[in-house]
Amino acid sequence: MIKDISELVKADIISQETANKISAYYRRKAGQSTNRLFVVFGILGSIFVGLGIILIIAHNWDNLLRTTKTFLAFLPPLVGQLLCGFVLLKKQDSVAWRESGTTFLFFSVGATISLVSQIYNMPGNLSSFLLTWMLLCLPLIYVMRSSIASLLYLIGITYYGCETNYWTHSYSESYLHWLLLLTILPHYYSLYKKKPQSNFMIFHNWLIPLSVIINLGTLANPTEELIFVTYFSFFGLIYSIGNLDFFTKQRLRNSGYKVLGFLGTIILLLISSFDSFWEYLNKQDYLLSKLIKTPEFFASAIVSLSAGMLLLLQVKNKSLNGIKPISPVFILFILTFIIGQSSPISAVLLINIFIFAIGLLTIRDGAKINNLGLINCGSLIITAVLLSRFFDIELSFTVRGCLFVSIGFGFFATNYWMLKKRKSND
Amino acid sequence: MINNKILLPIFILVALVQLSVPAKMIFDKEDILNNGKEYKFKTKSIYPNDPFRGKYITLSFYEDMIEVENGADWTEGEIIYVSLTTDREGFAKIKSVSKENLVNNQDFLKTKVGYIADNDPKMLTIDYPFDRFYMEESKAYDAESIYLESQPDTSQITYALVSIKDGEAVLKDVLINGVSIREIVIKERENQK
Repeated sequence: MIKDISELVKADIISQETANKISAYYRRKAGQSTNRLFVVFGILGSIFVGLGIILIIAHNWDNLLRTTKTFLAFLPPLVGQLLCGFVLLKKQDSVAWRESGTTFLFFSVGATISLVSQIYNMPGNLSSFLLTWMLLCLPLIYVMRSSIASLLYLIGITYYGCETNYWTHSYSESYLHWLLLLTILPHYYSLYKKKPQSNFMIFHNWLIPLSVIINLGTLANPTEELIFVTYFSFFGLIYSIGNLDFFTKQRLRNSGYKVLGFLGTIILLLISSFDSFWEYLNKQDYLLSKLIKTPEFFASAIVSLSAGMLLLLQVKNKSLNGIKPISPVFILFILTFIIGQSSPISAVLLINIFIFAIGLLTIRDGAKINNLGLINCGSLIITAVLLSRFFDIELSFTVRGCLFVSIGFGFFATNYWMLKKRKSND
Repeated sequence: MINNKILLPIFILVALVQLSVPAKMIFDKEDILNNGKEYKFKTKSIYPNDPFRGKYITLSFYEDMIEVENGADWTEGEIIYVSLTTDREGFAKIKSVSKENLVNNQDFLKTKVGYIADNDPKMLTIDYPFDRFYMEESKAYDAESIYLESQPDTSQITYALVSIKDGEAVLKDVLINGVSIREIVIKERENQK
């Protein structure tokens, strides 16, 4: 690059002043990427050291006295705390120091609780272990201003939610996971305000919706069928969030909300396009008076209303053509869900029409902006619904084979046509 | 940027809380070990396990069920108070179970309902909070082998030594005929050399 710049100066294409500016810009950029590497390696190093300590502890040294073991149990967090104290006093501006020190302390706290459980043969209640660990590390997010602590905490509370509600037979329902999730939001907001383009923000954009998606199913009790409405609305909500100006300016892979909302909606639509899904729903009898008191009714009402309001705000000034095909699916599903209670066949038909329409509209959108990825995505949606119907409808192998061949040719033809169109435009 | 004058005291407070939680766990358990009443729970089987926290053996006990009048009164996972006594041989025996702690009841254990068998007689299985005995990495498997070998021999009695105070319990040791399973594993290894 530097060679090219001097060549350009010699050829009188750019002035010396511009050349200096370009050189300075690239030097600054190179410095930023070195810093980023320091942060990544610092965090990775701390994770390995932390996990290594846990494994060494897991050996359970028989030769050591109980007092020695207890003393050793306190060493890792003490080292971590001294490190974090040093960072606060001397290296507060260094992201690499801050994040590495906090990562080490985060794992050390978990290691200490594990070791104490081991020394005293305490029973393996993973839920209470995770809860204590996460609560003890929550303040680190704000005191150390650490995003890695926030991400580890997110993973920890998601696991806690699953452990408490999915994998353990619990005496009562626990909604603590949702409260724990709320505690992270001030940090998320501060990231959005101060470092909207940072990698930490991107990781949060993926992990926060993922944590909610994983734990949303914990609300499916006792009227578990309503959870489908909640999931559809939640996918609609995060898809609309992904369509906010802030996210549309970013690359698609950086927008967890949009990708997860899209994929979630399509997968759920495919699941509900089967006969058996609606036949099962139709067997459930609901008592409206009982239904409105269930947690899943509250959840579905809150999520659906939020999704509806956000969608309304987004489409207010847009024409019908400007609305993305996935956006209104959750509303259509609610209507289909009501219809499906009395007529499962109509619901199956409607869902299949929705998927087909989404596929066609996506292909149309792709063709409009000459985007091959979007066209193939639309084709994949249509293929998926056709393949799903193979399980429902009795067709001979010859017919199925012919359909597969036509789908394959369809893909080839579309891509060939698009590439040809691009070439002719060039 | 938030001033260090505010951040540092908050951090010190957080650090103290982080240390105080495991410290409290240790003090509580030491208190039970030093001042609690010892019970011997006869074990019926041991399974070795290999989790993240280290290798341990899982214990199950002979005395872990009691007949209840109505199975529907109890829920799995519900907290219960088990009143304990000892039999003629000195092993722990369940006297009764209740949902509330009885006043002035010294010999009790706070634990959870494990399982309720609905057929007659309706039996409530107790989920004891001391079913894990952590061992050094290489010894858990040997401990299981020794235990299995001792099983056909009815003269070999295996039991867990548990210290109980104010409803809380700490598993002190697992013994076969009064000798710690840890010591037996070491002796067996020496004999093999």
